[in-house]
Formats: sequence, C-alpha cells, structure tokens
Amino acid sequence: MFDALDMGASGLQAQRARMDTIAENILQANTTRNERGEKIPYKRRFVVFAPGRADDTSKPGVHVSEVGLDQSPPLRKYEPGHPDADASGYVSYPNIDPAIEYVNAMEASRAYDANITMMEDTKSMINSSLRIIA
Amino acid sequence: MFERLLNQSSAPVLEKMLQFTAARHNVIAENVINISTPNYRQKDLSLDKFQEMLGERIGQRDGAPLGETSFDDISAELENPQRGILFHDGVNRSMEQLMSDQAKNAMMHNFVVELLKKQYSTMEMSLKDRPG
Repeated sequence: MFDALDMGASGLQAQRARMDTIAENILQANTTRNERGEKIPYKRRFVVFAPGRADDTSKPGVHVSEVGLDQSPPLRKYEPGHPDADASGYVSYPNIDPAIEYVNAMEASRAYDANITMMEDTKSMINSSLRIIA
Repeated sequence: MFERLLNQSSAPVLEKMLQFTAARHNVIAENVINISTPNYRQKDLSLDKFQEMLGERIGQRDGAPLGETSFDDISAELENPQRGILFHDGVNRSMEQLMSDQAKNAMMHNFVVELLKKQYSTMEMSLKDRPG
C-alpha cells in the first residue's frame, strides 16, 4: 500500500506542472514579443499527461509526457500606435482565453486536492494496519 | 497445530479481505491520479465478485475438516468498468464515484482491521489464561 503514496506524489507533481503552465499562459497573455525581442507573440502551452511514473513508466502513476504549443493563429487587434503593430496597424496577441485558463486551473486544483485526500486515506489505512500488531 | 488454530476462525477471511481492500485502494488511487490522462481506461476490482468467491469458500469450509480449507488462492480480477460518461479525451472519469469508492474502501479496511485486532486479542487472552 506504500506504493499508493508514491503514486499520489507523482499525481501531485503532474498537477503542479499543469498549474505552472496555466500560470505562465495567464501572465504571458499580452506578450507580443518572444525572448529574442522579435515580434512573435507568445504561444499558449499545455501539458500532456501519460500513465506511469516519470522515472519509471512501468510503475503505476502519472507524468507529464510533453508540453505542447497551441498552434492556433494569434488574435489580431487594431492598435496603430503600438510599437509592435504591423504595416496595417494590427498587433498580434497570444490566442489565450483567460476563462479557459481559469477553468483548467480549477480542474488542476481539484485534482490536486483529490490526490491529497487519497494520500491522507492511504496514511490512515497504513496506520490502522500497523495497529493490528501494536 | 498453530496453523489450524489460525485457519479455523474468521481470521483467514478477514486477512483476505484486508489484502483485497489494500489492492483496491491502489487501483482507485491510480484512477484518481490519472483523472486527466487522455485515453486512460479506469480500472477496478469488483467487491461483489470477491465477496461471492469468499462466501463460496466459507460454505465449503463449513463441511470440511478443521483447518483443511485454504483461502490463499482467492484473488480479485482487474476489470475496466464501462460506467459513467466517456469524455472527448477518451476517459470515463467520475471523481465523485472514485471518491465515494475510496471512502467506502477505506472504511471497510479500517473495519476489517478492528475485527482482526479483536480476533487476535481474544486469541492472546485465551493463550495467556492457560493454567500452569
């Protein structure tokens, strides 16, 4: 049953990685340049989960197998005075919908809570089993 | 002699039940942590089938000589229940169902532990109270 605790830990790690990605999406929602200063808007990231632990996928658990890039076209807004506006006055913004990100964040948070509950139950079951011999 | 003593009461049945609840806990835990994994098929161990097998063996034990019936070979089979809604990512998740199964399983585990403790303490008491 100790295995369930390791499984829970892998679940917590995966959901935290998902939450980190969502946080980055929200904070970069208005970023119109990349890290090299080019006029390429930030691309939304998302995590892809796969069964099995990160260090050994044959063991039961979950891990982030990939951080994907959303290839949907950027949102174009007419802002002629903006330094990143193109010749026709449009600025390309990342295609990020805060509502979608908030819903995903809520889902990740609930899943994290569920993992914690499961780990608490595992601990109580292990403790009660140990009390047979005490 | 000691083997027969341990095997004739409800202790072997309770031990088997304890193994089942521990195994089922792992299966439910795996379902919970894979709640967001695309195409993950939920797994479960059927409590009803397990109890049915256990019940049959208890019935066989009633007619057999003391300590002759073994419960060691009874084990629950892993299955993929098709309950719930199949979501667009190929997962038939239901967090409510999982949490309720998990709570029931943990309660069952703790209940079996208490019964087993009682069983062993009764045995211990009878051994201590032996004259001479």
